[in-house]
Amino acid sequence: MLSKRNITVLALLTALGLVALWLLSVPRGLTLADLPQHQPDVANGEILYHAAGCWSCHKPGTDLKDVDPNLPAGGFPLKTPVGTFYPPNLTPDPATGLGTWSDLDFVNAVQRGVSPAGANLIPAFPYTSYAHMRVEDVLDIKAYLATLPAIDSPARSAEIPFPALLRRGVGLWKWIGLDTTPWEPDPVQSASWNRGSYLVNGPGHCAECHTPRNVFMALDTSQALAGGPHPEGEGRVPSLRGLIERGRYKDAKDIASALQFGEMLGYDKLSSGGMGQVQRNIAKLPEADIQAIGEYLASLK
Amino acid sequence: MLGFRALKTVTAAALLLGAGVVSASADATSSIQARQACMKANGAVMAVAVPIVKGEKPFDKAALDAAFAKEKEACAGWADWWGDDTKPGGATETWAKEEVWTDKAGFEAAGAAYGKAATAVAAAADEASFKAAFPALGASCQGCHEKFRRPKG
Ligand code: HEC
Ligand code: HEC
Ligand code: HEC
Repeated sequence: MLSKRNITVLALLTALGLVALWLLSVPRGLTLADLPQHQPDVANGEILYHAAGCWSCHKPGTDLKDVDPNLPAGGFPLKTPVGTFYPPNLTPDPATGLGTWSDLDFVNAVQRGVSPAGANLIPAFPYTSYAHMRVEDVLDIKAYLATLPAIDSPARSAEIPFPALLRRGVGLWKWIGLDTTPWEPDPVQSASWNRGSYLVNGPGHCAECHTPRNVFMALDTSQALAGGPHPEGEGRVPSLRGLIERGRYKDAKDIASALQFGEMLGYDKLSSGGMGQVQRNIAKLPEADIQAIGEYLASLK
Repeated sequence: MLGFRALKTVTAAALLLGAGVVSASADATSSIQARQACMKANGAVMAVAVPIVKGEKPFDKAALDAAFAKEKEACAGWADWWGDDTKPGGATETWAKEEVWTDKAGFEAAGAAYGKAATAVAAAADEASFKAAFPALGASCQGCHEKFRRPKG
Protein backbone atom coordinates (compact mmCIF):
# COMPACT_ATOMS: atom_id res chain seq x y z
CA MET A 1 0.00 0.00 0.00
CA LEU A 2 1.01 3.56 -0.57
CA SER A 3 2.01 5.31 2.62
CA LYS A 4 1.08 8.92 3.17
CA ARG A 5 4.68 9.80 2.59
CA ASN A 6 4.79 7.93 -0.73
CA ILE A 7 1.69 9.76 -1.85
CA THR A 8 3.25 13.10 -1.01
CA VAL A 9 6.38 12.17 -2.97
CA LEU A 10 4.31 11.01 -5.93
CA ALA A 11 2.24 14.17 -5.89
CA LEU A 12 5.40 16.24 -5.78
CA LEU A 13 6.92 14.30 -8.66
CA THR A 14 3.74 14.66 -10.72
CA ALA A 15 3.69 18.38 -10.07
CA LEU A 16 7.35 18.62 -11.00
CA GLY A 17 6.66 16.63 -14.19
CA LEU A 18 3.84 18.97 -15.13
CA VAL A 19 5.98 22.01 -14.46
CA ALA A 20 8.77 20.48 -16.56
CA LEU A 21 6.33 19.78 -19.41
CA TRP A 22 5.01 23.30 -19.14
CA LEU A 23 8.52 24.76 -19.25
CA LEU A 24 9.54 22.47 -22.11
CA SER A 25 6.54 23.66 -24.10
CA VAL A 26 7.42 27.34 -23.70
CA PRO A 27 7.94 28.89 -27.15
CA ARG A 28 11.64 29.45 -27.80
CA GLY A 29 12.46 32.16 -30.28
CA LEU A 30 15.54 33.99 -31.47
CA THR A 31 16.76 37.20 -29.84
CA LEU A 32 17.88 40.49 -31.40
CA ALA A 33 21.50 39.32 -31.06
CA ASP A 34 20.74 36.49 -33.54
CA LEU A 35 19.81 38.93 -36.32
CA PRO A 36 22.60 39.95 -38.71
CA GLN A 37 23.25 43.50 -39.89
CA HIS A 38 21.58 43.39 -43.28
CA GLN A 39 20.69 45.78 -46.09
CA PRO A 40 17.48 44.22 -47.47
CA ASP A 41 17.35 43.23 -51.15
CA VAL A 42 13.75 43.45 -52.35
CA ALA A 43 14.41 41.68 -55.67
CA ASN A 44 15.93 38.70 -53.86
CA GLY A 45 12.99 38.78 -51.45
CA GLU A 46 10.53 38.47 -54.33
CA ILE A 47 12.33 35.41 -55.70
CA LEU A 48 12.36 33.71 -52.30
CA TYR A 49 8.73 34.64 -51.68
CA HIS A 50 7.84 32.64 -54.80
CA ALA A 51 10.26 29.81 -53.99
CA ALA A 52 8.68 29.57 -50.53
CA GLY A 53 5.15 29.62 -51.92
CA CYS A 54 3.90 32.09 -49.31
CA TRP A 55 1.00 33.18 -51.52
CA SER A 56 -0.31 29.62 -51.97
CA CYS A 57 -1.43 29.50 -48.35
CA HIS A 58 -1.86 33.23 -47.70
CA LYS A 59 -4.00 34.04 -50.74
CA PRO A 60 -7.07 36.25 -50.28
CA GLY A 61 -10.25 34.69 -48.95
CA THR A 62 -13.29 34.59 -51.22
CA ASP A 63 -14.93 37.43 -49.24
CA LEU A 64 -12.18 39.86 -50.37
CA LYS A 65 -13.82 40.44 -53.73
CA ASP A 66 -12.21 43.74 -54.73
CA VAL A 67 -8.72 42.67 -53.72
CA ASP A 68 -6.08 41.77 -56.32
CA PRO A 69 -6.09 37.95 -56.08
CA ASN A 70 -2.29 37.89 -56.49
CA LEU A 71 -1.75 39.60 -53.15
CA PRO A 72 -1.10 37.56 -49.98
CA ALA A 73 -4.02 39.25 -48.24
CA GLY A 74 -4.88 36.11 -46.28
CA GLY A 75 -8.10 34.46 -45.24
CA PHE A 76 -8.39 31.63 -47.75
CA PRO A 77 -9.23 28.42 -45.88
CA LEU A 78 -6.43 25.85 -45.55
CA LYS A 79 -7.86 22.46 -44.58
CA THR A 80 -5.51 20.20 -42.61
CA PRO A 81 -6.04 17.04 -40.54
CA VAL A 82 -5.85 19.22 -37.38
CA GLY A 83 -8.54 21.63 -38.55
CA THR A 84 -9.10 24.59 -40.86
CA PHE A 85 -6.69 27.53 -40.81
CA TYR A 86 -7.15 30.96 -42.40
CA PRO A 87 -3.48 31.93 -42.90
CA PRO A 88 -3.32 35.66 -42.14
CA ASN A 89 -2.72 38.83 -44.12
CA LEU A 90 0.94 39.33 -45.12
CA THR A 91 0.44 42.77 -46.68
CA PRO A 92 1.81 45.81 -44.79
CA ASP A 93 -1.55 46.93 -43.38
CA PRO A 94 -0.71 48.19 -39.86
CA ALA A 95 -3.96 47.03 -38.25
CA THR A 96 -4.54 43.62 -39.89
CA GLY A 97 -1.26 42.81 -41.68
CA LEU A 98 2.46 42.89 -40.96
CA GLY A 99 2.75 46.70 -40.96
CA THR A 100 3.90 46.98 -37.34
CA TRP A 101 5.93 43.75 -37.17
CA SER A 102 9.61 44.06 -36.27
CA ASP A 103 12.25 42.05 -38.11
CA LEU A 104 12.58 39.85 -35.05
CA ASP A 105 8.81 39.21 -34.93
CA PHE A 106 8.91 38.12 -38.57
CA VAL A 107 11.98 35.90 -38.33
CA ASN A 108 10.63 34.23 -35.20
CA ALA A 109 7.31 33.45 -36.90
CA VAL A 110 8.83 32.21 -40.18
CA GLN A 111 11.85 30.34 -38.79
CA ARG A 112 10.86 29.30 -35.26
CA GLY A 113 7.07 29.14 -35.38
CA VAL A 114 6.65 31.67 -32.57
CA SER A 115 4.11 34.49 -32.86
CA PRO A 116 4.88 38.05 -31.71
CA ALA A 117 2.64 37.40 -28.69
CA GLY A 118 4.84 34.41 -27.83
CA ALA A 119 2.52 31.54 -28.84
CA ASN A 120 3.63 28.44 -30.72
CA LEU A 121 2.41 28.36 -34.30
CA ILE A 122 1.05 25.13 -35.77
CA PRO A 123 3.45 23.52 -38.26
CA ALA A 124 0.78 23.55 -41.00
CA PHE A 125 2.85 26.71 -41.55
CA PRO A 126 6.09 25.10 -42.84
CA TYR A 127 8.51 27.01 -40.56
CA THR A 128 10.07 23.59 -39.99
CA SER A 129 11.65 23.97 -43.47
CA TYR A 130 12.04 27.74 -43.44
CA ALA A 131 14.13 27.26 -40.26
CA HIS A 132 16.99 26.13 -42.53
CA MET A 133 16.93 29.35 -44.59
CA ARG A 134 19.49 32.12 -44.41
CA VAL A 135 18.12 34.79 -42.06
CA GLU A 136 19.11 37.43 -44.66
CA ASP A 137 16.78 35.79 -47.18
CA VAL A 138 13.91 35.85 -44.69
CA LEU A 139 14.54 39.55 -44.02
CA ASP A 140 14.50 40.11 -47.80
CA ILE A 141 11.06 38.45 -48.00
CA LYS A 142 9.87 40.84 -45.30
CA ALA A 143 11.27 43.78 -47.29
CA TYR A 144 9.49 42.55 -50.42
CA LEU A 145 6.18 42.14 -48.57
CA ALA A 146 6.55 45.74 -47.32
CA THR A 147 6.44 46.97 -50.96
CA LEU A 148 2.98 45.47 -51.57
CA PRO A 149 -0.22 47.50 -51.25
CA ALA A 150 -1.71 47.34 -47.75
CA ILE A 151 -4.98 45.43 -47.66
CA ASP A 152 -7.48 45.55 -44.82
CA SER A 153 -8.07 41.87 -44.09
CA PRO A 154 -8.63 40.99 -40.43
CA ALA A 155 -7.35 37.64 -39.17
CA ARG A 156 -9.82 34.83 -38.65
CA SER A 157 -9.15 32.27 -35.90
CA ALA A 158 -8.30 28.75 -36.90
CA GLU A 159 -10.96 26.10 -36.36
CA ILE A 160 -8.82 23.73 -34.30
CA PRO A 161 -9.65 21.75 -31.16
CA PHE A 162 -8.33 23.09 -27.80
CA PRO A 163 -6.15 25.79 -29.43
CA ALA A 164 -4.31 26.82 -26.25
CA LEU A 165 -3.42 23.25 -25.31
CA LEU A 166 -2.57 22.33 -28.90
CA ARG A 167 -0.16 25.25 -29.14
CA ARG A 168 1.56 24.16 -25.91
CA GLY A 169 1.68 20.64 -27.33
CA VAL A 170 3.42 22.00 -30.41
CA GLY A 171 5.99 23.48 -28.05
CA LEU A 172 6.79 19.97 -26.82
CA TRP A 173 6.72 18.56 -30.33
CA LYS A 174 9.26 21.15 -31.48
CA TRP A 175 11.94 19.43 -29.37
CA ILE A 176 11.84 16.55 -31.86
CA GLY A 177 10.03 18.01 -34.85
CA LEU A 178 11.83 21.33 -35.36
CA ASP A 179 15.40 21.08 -36.63
CA THR A 180 16.87 24.58 -36.77
CA THR A 181 20.22 23.59 -38.34
CA PRO A 182 20.99 26.17 -41.04
CA TRP A 183 21.34 24.76 -44.55
CA GLU A 184 25.00 24.05 -45.41
CA PRO A 185 26.51 23.96 -48.90
CA ASP A 186 28.32 20.82 -50.05
CA PRO A 187 31.76 22.03 -51.17
CA VAL A 188 32.32 19.12 -53.60
CA GLN A 189 29.19 20.03 -55.59
CA SER A 190 28.72 22.82 -58.13
CA ALA A 191 27.32 26.24 -57.22
CA SER A 192 24.20 25.41 -59.21
CA TRP A 193 23.65 22.07 -57.39
CA ASN A 194 24.04 23.89 -54.08
CA ARG A 195 21.55 26.55 -55.13
CA GLY A 196 19.09 23.76 -56.00
CA SER A 197 19.73 22.01 -52.69
CA TYR A 198 19.09 25.27 -50.81
CA LEU A 199 15.88 26.04 -52.69
CA VAL A 200 14.53 22.50 -52.22
CA ASN A 201 15.50 22.02 -48.56
CA GLY A 202 14.94 25.59 -47.32
CA PRO A 203 12.34 27.89 -48.86
CA GLY A 204 10.83 25.29 -51.25
CA HIS A 205 9.77 23.11 -48.27
CA CYS A 206 9.53 20.17 -50.68
CA ALA A 207 10.21 17.78 -47.79
CA GLU A 208 6.97 18.76 -46.04
CA CYS A 209 5.11 16.68 -48.62
CA HIS A 210 7.79 14.51 -50.25
CA THR A 211 9.46 13.17 -47.07
CA PRO A 212 7.49 10.62 -45.03
CA ARG A 213 6.91 11.25 -41.31
CA ASN A 214 7.78 9.05 -38.34
CA VAL A 215 5.49 8.15 -35.42
CA PHE A 216 6.13 11.57 -33.87
CA MET A 217 4.93 13.27 -37.08
CA ALA A 218 8.47 14.59 -37.54
CA LEU A 219 10.12 14.30 -40.98
CA ASP A 220 11.88 10.94 -41.30
CA THR A 221 15.18 12.29 -42.62
CA SER A 222 16.50 8.76 -43.23
CA GLN A 223 13.99 8.70 -46.10
CA ALA A 224 14.46 12.27 -47.29
CA LEU A 225 12.26 13.09 -50.31
CA ALA A 226 11.42 9.38 -50.78
CA GLY A 227 7.66 10.01 -50.97
CA GLY A 228 4.84 8.71 -48.80
CA PRO A 229 1.25 9.33 -47.73
CA HIS A 230 0.07 12.87 -48.44
CA PRO A 231 0.27 14.92 -45.23
CA GLU A 232 -3.22 16.28 -45.88
CA GLY A 233 -4.61 12.80 -46.40
CA GLU A 234 -5.18 12.92 -50.15
CA GLY A 235 -3.47 9.97 -51.82
CA ARG A 236 0.28 9.42 -52.06
CA VAL A 237 3.12 11.82 -52.78
CA PRO A 238 5.69 10.42 -55.25
CA SER A 239 9.37 10.00 -54.47
CA LEU A 240 11.84 12.56 -55.81
CA ARG A 241 14.65 9.98 -55.68
CA GLY A 242 15.84 8.16 -58.76
CA LEU A 243 13.68 10.27 -61.10
CA ILE A 244 16.16 9.62 -63.93
CA GLU A 245 16.92 5.98 -63.02
CA ARG A 246 13.21 5.15 -62.90
CA GLY A 247 12.77 6.72 -66.34
CA ARG A 248 10.42 9.45 -65.14
CA TYR A 249 12.65 12.06 -66.80
CA LYS A 250 15.49 12.04 -69.33
CA ASP A 251 17.88 14.30 -67.46
CA ALA A 252 18.21 17.32 -65.15
CA LYS A 253 16.99 19.65 -67.92
CA ASP A 254 13.90 17.53 -68.43
CA ILE A 255 13.06 17.76 -64.69
CA ALA A 256 13.58 21.53 -64.85
CA SER A 257 11.29 21.75 -67.87
CA ALA A 258 8.65 19.68 -66.04
CA LEU A 259 8.84 22.06 -63.06
CA GLN A 260 8.71 25.09 -65.33
CA PHE A 261 5.75 24.04 -67.46
CA GLY A 262 4.06 21.19 -65.58
CA GLU A 263 1.08 19.49 -67.15
CA MET A 264 0.78 22.43 -69.54
CA LEU A 265 3.55 20.67 -71.42
CA GLY A 266 2.12 17.20 -71.02
CA TYR A 267 4.16 16.15 -67.96
CA ASP A 268 1.99 13.96 -65.73
CA LYS A 269 2.03 13.94 -61.90
CA LEU A 270 2.55 17.66 -61.46
CA SER A 271 -0.89 18.92 -60.54
CA SER A 272 -2.76 16.87 -57.94
CA GLY A 273 -2.40 17.13 -54.16
CA GLY A 274 -1.10 20.72 -54.18
CA MET A 275 1.77 20.14 -56.64
CA GLY A 276 0.10 22.27 -59.34
CA GLN A 277 0.38 25.34 -57.13
CA VAL A 278 3.98 24.49 -56.20
CA GLN A 279 4.80 24.11 -59.89
CA ARG A 280 3.31 27.50 -60.77
CA ASN A 281 5.37 29.10 -57.98
CA ILE A 282 8.55 27.46 -59.27
CA ALA A 283 7.72 28.73 -62.77
CA LYS A 284 8.05 32.29 -61.41
CA LEU A 285 11.72 31.73 -60.48
CA PRO A 286 14.62 32.81 -62.69
CA GLU A 287 15.47 30.14 -65.28
CA ALA A 288 18.85 29.45 -63.61
CA ASP A 289 17.12 28.63 -60.31
CA ILE A 290 14.73 26.18 -61.99
CA GLN A 291 17.69 24.49 -63.69
CA ALA A 292 19.45 24.36 -60.32
CA ILE A 293 16.49 22.54 -58.76
CA GLY A 294 16.52 20.11 -61.71
CA GLU A 295 20.24 19.49 -61.25
CA TYR A 296 19.85 18.83 -57.53
CA LEU A 297 16.84 16.51 -57.93
CA ALA A 298 18.55 14.57 -60.75
CA SER A 299 21.41 13.78 -58.34
CA LEU A 300 19.15 12.14 -55.71
CA LYS A 301 19.52 8.39 -56.10
CA MET B 1 -26.56 -26.78 -34.34
CA LEU B 2 -27.72 -25.64 -37.73
CA GLY B 3 -29.93 -28.20 -39.49
CA PHE B 4 -29.11 -29.28 -43.03
CA ARG B 5 -32.04 -27.33 -44.46
CA ALA B 6 -31.11 -24.19 -42.56
CA LEU B 7 -27.56 -24.51 -43.79
CA LYS B 8 -28.80 -24.77 -47.38
CA THR B 9 -30.92 -21.63 -46.99
CA VAL B 10 -28.09 -19.70 -45.43
CA THR B 11 -25.72 -20.79 -48.20
CA ALA B 12 -28.21 -19.82 -50.89
CA ALA B 13 -28.74 -16.44 -49.26
CA ALA B 14 -25.01 -15.90 -48.97
CA LEU B 15 -24.54 -16.84 -52.62
CA LEU B 16 -27.30 -14.46 -53.68
CA LEU B 17 -25.83 -11.72 -51.55
CA GLY B 18 -22.40 -12.44 -52.91
CA ALA B 19 -23.70 -12.39 -56.48
CA GLY B 20 -25.39 -9.05 -55.82
CA VAL B 21 -22.22 -7.56 -54.41
CA VAL B 22 -20.11 -8.97 -57.21
CA SER B 23 -22.36 -7.66 -59.95
CA ALA B 24 -22.57 -4.19 -58.38
CA SER B 25 -18.84 -3.94 -57.92
CA ALA B 26 -18.18 -5.41 -61.37
CA ASP B 27 -20.12 -2.46 -62.79
CA ALA B 28 -18.22 -0.02 -60.67
CA THR B 29 -14.97 -1.76 -61.49
CA SER B 30 -15.52 -1.60 -65.22
CA SER B 31 -16.49 2.08 -65.02
CA ILE B 32 -13.36 2.89 -63.05
CA GLN B 33 -11.19 0.83 -65.37
CA ALA B 34 -12.78 2.47 -68.40
CA ARG B 35 -12.11 6.00 -67.18
CA GLN B 36 -8.56 5.10 -66.25
CA ALA B 37 -8.04 3.61 -69.74
CA CYS B 38 -9.45 6.82 -71.24
CA MET B 39 -6.93 8.79 -69.19
CA LYS B 40 -4.10 6.53 -70.29
CA ALA B 41 -5.14 7.22 -73.91
CA ASN B 42 -4.88 10.92 -73.05
CA GLY B 43 -1.39 10.26 -71.77
CA ALA B 44 -0.63 8.55 -75.09
CA VAL B 45 -1.80 11.66 -76.99
CA MET B 46 0.63 13.67 -74.88
CA ALA B 47 3.45 11.27 -75.65
CA VAL B 48 3.00 12.03 -79.36
CA ALA B 49 2.19 15.74 -79.00
CA VAL B 50 4.83 16.93 -76.52
CA PRO B 51 7.97 16.10 -78.54
CA ILE B 52 6.41 18.07 -81.41
CA VAL B 53 5.63 21.01 -79.14
CA LYS B 54 9.18 20.94 -77.80
CA GLY B 55 10.57 20.83 -81.33
CA GLU B 56 12.24 17.46 -80.75
CA LYS B 57 10.19 15.83 -83.49
CA PRO B 58 8.65 17.18 -86.72
CA PHE B 59 4.93 17.89 -86.92
CA ASP B 60 3.29 14.54 -87.74
CA LYS B 61 -0.40 14.90 -88.51
CA ALA B 62 -0.90 11.17 -89.10
CA ALA B 63 0.57 10.15 -85.72
CA LEU B 64 -1.51 12.81 -83.96
CA ASP B 65 -4.68 11.72 -85.75
CA ALA B 66 -4.05 8.11 -84.74
CA ALA B 67 -3.51 9.03 -81.08
CA PHE B 68 -6.62 11.22 -81.01
CA ALA B 69 -8.70 8.48 -82.68
CA LYS B 70 -7.68 6.01 -79.95
CA GLU B 71 -8.41 8.60 -77.30
CA LYS B 72 -11.87 9.25 -78.76
CA GLU B 73 -12.63 5.55 -78.75
CA ALA B 74 -11.29 5.00 -75.23
CA CYS B 75 -13.24 7.96 -73.82
CA ALA B 76 -16.54 7.39 -75.65
CA GLY B 77 -18.57 6.40 -72.55
CA TRP B 78 -17.06 9.08 -70.24
CA ALA B 79 -20.34 10.55 -69.00
CA ASP B 80 -21.59 7.14 -67.80
CA TRP B 81 -18.56 6.22 -65.69
CA TRP B 82 -19.20 8.33 -62.61
CA GLY B 83 -21.96 6.43 -60.77
CA ASP B 84 -22.15 6.83 -57.00
CA ASP B 85 -20.74 3.32 -56.60
CA THR B 86 -17.48 4.45 -58.24
CA LYS B 87 -16.61 6.96 -55.50
CA PRO B 88 -13.33 6.63 -53.62
CA GLY B 89 -13.42 4.16 -50.75
CA GLY B 90 -15.18 1.41 -52.73
CA ALA B 91 -13.85 -2.02 -53.64
CA THR B 92 -11.93 -0.84 -56.71
CA GLU B 93 -9.22 1.71 -56.21
CA THR B 94 -9.85 5.03 -57.87
CA TRP B 95 -7.83 8.23 -57.76
CA ALA B 96 -10.85 10.40 -58.43
CA LYS B 97 -11.62 12.74 -55.53
CA GLU B 98 -14.89 13.06 -53.65
CA GLU B 99 -15.18 16.53 -55.28
CA VAL B 100 -16.21 14.87 -58.58
CA TRP B 101 -19.51 14.13 -56.85
CA THR B 102 -19.77 17.15 -54.55
CA ASP B 103 -18.91 19.72 -57.25
CA LYS B 104 -20.63 18.24 -60.28
CA ALA B 105 -20.84 21.58 -62.11
CA GLY B 106 -17.11 22.20 -61.62
CA PHE B 107 -16.25 18.73 -62.86
CA GLU B 108 -18.43 19.15 -65.95
CA ALA B 109 -16.86 22.55 -66.68
CA ALA B 110 -13.38 21.00 -66.41
CA GLY B 111 -14.48 18.28 -68.84
CA ALA B 112 -15.93 20.86 -71.24
CA ALA B 113 -12.70 22.92 -71.19
CA TYR B 114 -10.83 19.76 -72.06
CA GLY B 115 -13.27 18.84 -74.87
CA LYS B 116 -12.95 22.27 -76.44
CA ALA B 117 -9.14 22.28 -76.25
CA ALA B 118 -8.81 18.71 -77.55
CA THR B 119 -11.05 19.47 -80.53
CA ALA B 120 -8.95 22.49 -81.42
CA VAL B 121 -5.66 20.59 -81.15
CA ALA B 122 -7.00 17.62 -83.13
CA ALA B 123 -8.22 19.96 -85.86
CA ALA B 124 -4.91 21.80 -86.23
CA ALA B 125 -3.69 21.24 -89.79
CA ASP B 126 -0.18 22.64 -89.48
CA GLU B 127 2.57 23.02 -86.93
CA ALA B 128 1.89 26.69 -86.12
CA SER B 129 -1.80 26.24 -85.35
CA PHE B 130 -1.01 23.02 -83.45
CA LYS B 131 1.51 24.78 -81.24
CA ALA B 132 -0.86 27.67 -80.68
CA ALA B 133 -3.72 25.38 -79.65
CA PHE B 134 -1.70 23.02 -77.44
CA PRO B 135 -1.24 25.01 -74.19
CA ALA B 136 -5.01 25.12 -73.60
CA LEU B 137 -5.10 21.31 -73.78
CA GLY B 138 -2.31 20.91 -71.21
CA ALA B 139 -3.98 23.49 -69.00
CA SER B 140 -7.23 21.53 -69.14
CA CYS B 141 -5.55 18.35 -67.86
CA GLN B 142 -3.94 20.36 -65.06
CA GLY B 143 -7.14 22.22 -64.25
CA CYS B 144 -9.11 19.02 -63.71
CA HIS B 145 -6.37 17.02 -61.98
CA GLU B 146 -5.72 19.80 -59.47
CA LYS B 147 -9.25 19.70 -58.17
CA PHE B 148 -10.56 16.25 -58.97
CA ARG B 149 -7.69 13.75 -58.83
CA ARG B 150 -5.73 12.44 -55.87
CA PRO B 151 -2.01 11.86 -56.39
CA LYS B 152 -1.17 8.21 -56.99
CA GLY B 153 2.39 8.39 -55.63
C1 HEC C 1 1.61 25.42 -46.42
C2 HEC C 1 0.96 26.65 -46.05
C3 HEC C 1 1.77 27.88 -45.70
C4 HEC C 1 2.82 28.44 -46.39
C5 HEC C 1 3.46 27.92 -47.66
C6 HEC C 1 3.17 29.63 -45.68
N1 HEC C 1 2.37 29.80 -44.60
FE1 HEC C 1 2.41 31.36 -43.29
N2 HEC C 1 1.00 30.45 -42.17
C7 HEC C 1 0.35 29.29 -42.49
C8 HEC C 1 -0.58 28.95 -41.43
C9 HEC C 1 -1.49 27.73 -41.40
C10 HEC C 1 -0.46 29.95 -40.46
C11 HEC C 1 -1.21 30.04 -39.13
C12 HEC C 1 -0.47 29.20 -38.10
C13 HEC C 1 -1.13 29.19 -36.75
O1 HEC C 1 -2.22 29.73 -36.60
O2 HEC C 1 -0.53 28.59 -35.83
C14 HEC C 1 0.53 30.89 -40.96
C15 HEC C 1 0.93 32.03 -40.28
C16 HEC C 1 1.85 32.92 -40.76
C17 HEC C 1 2.22 34.15 -40.09
C18 HEC C 1 1.55 34.71 -38.87
C19 HEC C 1 2.10 34.28 -37.61
C20 HEC C 1 1.35 34.96 -36.47
O3 HEC C 1 1.90 34.96 -35.39
O4 HEC C 1 0.25 35.47 -36.67
C21 HEC C 1 3.17 34.76 -40.87
C22 HEC C 1 3.87 36.08 -40.58
C23 HEC C 1 3.40 33.92 -41.99
N3 HEC C 1 2.59 32.82 -41.91
C24 HEC C 1 4.28 34.22 -43.00
C25 HEC C 1 4.55 33.37 -44.07
C26 HEC C 1 5.58 33.63 -45.04
C27 HEC C 1 6.46 34.86 -45.09
C28 HEC C 1 5.56 32.57 -45.89
C29 HEC C 1 6.51 32.30 -47.05
C30 HEC C 1 7.91 32.41 -46.71
C31 HEC C 1 4.52 31.66 -45.45
N4 HEC C 1 3.93 32.20 -44.34
C32 HEC C 1 4.20 30.48 -46.07
C33 HEC C 1 0.53 28.53 -43.61
C34 HEC C 1 1.51 28.74 -44.57
C1 HEC D 1 1.80 20.39 -50.94
C2 HEC D 1 2.61 19.22 -51.05
C3 HEC D 1 3.82 19.29 -51.97
C4 HEC D 1 4.90 20.15 -51.91
C5 HEC D 1 5.15 21.26 -50.91
C6 HEC D 1 5.77 19.77 -52.99
N1 HEC D 1 5.25 18.72 -53.69
FE1 HEC D 1 6.01 17.89 -55.40
N2 HEC D 1 4.41 16.69 -55.54
C7 HEC D 1 3.37 16.63 -54.64
C8 HEC D 1 2.37 15.70 -55.12
C9 HEC D 1 1.08 15.34 -54.42
C10 HEC D 1 2.84 15.20 -56.36
C11 HEC D 1 2.10 14.26 -57.32
C12 HEC D 1 1.14 15.10 -58.16
C13 HEC D 1 0.27 14.34 -59.12
O1 HEC D 1 0.25 13.10 -59.10
O2 HEC D 1 -0.43 15.00 -59.93
C14 HEC D 1 4.14 15.84 -56.58
C15 HEC D 1 4.95 15.59 -57.70
C16 HEC D 1 6.19 16.13 -57.89
C17 HEC D 1 7.08 15.82 -58.99
C18 HEC D 1 6.81 14.80 -60.10
C19 HEC D 1 7.33 13.44 -59.68
C20 HEC D 1 7.29 12.43 -60.79
O3 HEC D 1 7.36 11.22 -60.48
O4 HEC D 1 7.19 12.82 -61.95
C21 HEC D 1 8.22 16.57 -58.85
C22 HEC D 1 9.45 16.57 -59.75
C23 HEC D 1 8.03 17.36 -57.65
N3 HEC D 1 6.80 17.07 -57.09
C24 HEC D 1 8.97 18.26 -57.16
C25 HEC D 1 8.74 19.07 -56.05
C26 HEC D 1 9.67 20.10 -55.62
C27 HEC D 1 11.01 20.41 -56.28
C28 HEC D 1 9.11 20.69 -54.54
C29 HEC D 1 9.64 21.84 -53.71
C30 HEC D 1 9.99 23.04 -54.44
C31 HEC D 1 7.83 20.04 -54.29
N4 HEC D 1 7.64 19.07 -55.23
C32 HEC D 1 6.97 20.41 -53.26
C33 HEC D 1 3.23 17.35 -53.47
C34 HEC D 1 4.06 18.39 -53.10
C1 HEC E 1 -12.53 16.46 -66.32
C2 HEC E 1 -11.44 15.98 -65.55
C3 HEC E 1 -10.16 15.47 -66.21
C4 HEC E 1 -9.54 15.95 -67.34
C5 HEC E 1 -9.95 17.10 -68.25
C6 HEC E 1 -8.34 15.15 -67.52
N1 HEC E 1 -8.25 14.23 -66.51
FE1 HEC E 1 -6.80 12.81 -66.32
N2 HEC E 1 -7.73 12.08 -64.65
C7 HEC E 1 -8.91 12.56 -64.12
C8 HEC E 1 -9.32 11.75 -63.00
C9 HEC E 1 -10.55 11.96 -62.13
C10 HEC E 1 -8.34 10.72 -62.89
C11 HEC E 1 -8.37 9.55 -61.90
C12 HEC E 1 -9.30 8.47 -62.48
C13 HEC E 1 -9.51 7.28 -61.57
O1 HEC E 1 -8.53 6.77 -60.97
O2 HEC E 1 -10.66 6.85 -61.44
C14 HEC E 1 -7.36 10.97 -63.94
C15 HEC E 1 -6.23 10.18 -64.17
C16 HEC E 1 -5.28 10.42 -65.16
C17 HEC E 1 -4.11 9.61 -65.38
C18 HEC E 1 -3.69 8.39 -64.58
C19 HEC E 1 -4.35 7.17 -65.19
C20 HEC E 1 -4.00 5.89 -64.46
O3 HEC E 1 -4.90 5.25 -63.89
O4 HEC E 1 -2.82 5.55 -64.43
C21 HEC E 1 -3.44 10.14 -66.47
C22 HEC E 1 -2.15 9.64 -67.12
C23 HEC E 1 -4.20 11.28 -66.92
N3 HEC E 1 -5.33 11.44 -66.09
C24 HEC E 1 -3.87 12.07 -68.00
C25 HEC E 1 -4.63 13.13 -68.47
C26 HEC E 1 -4.25 13.99 -69.58
C27 HEC E 1 -2.96 13.87 -70.36
C28 HEC E 1 -5.25 14.90 -69.72
C29 HEC E 1 -5.37 16.04 -70.72
C30 HEC E 1 -5.13 15.73 -72.10
C31 HEC E 1 -6.27 14.61 -68.71
N4 HEC E 1 -5.85 13.54 -67.97
C32 HEC E 1 -7.43 15.33 -68.55
C33 HEC E 1 -9.61 13.66 -64.54
C34 HEC E 1 -9.34 14.39 -65.69
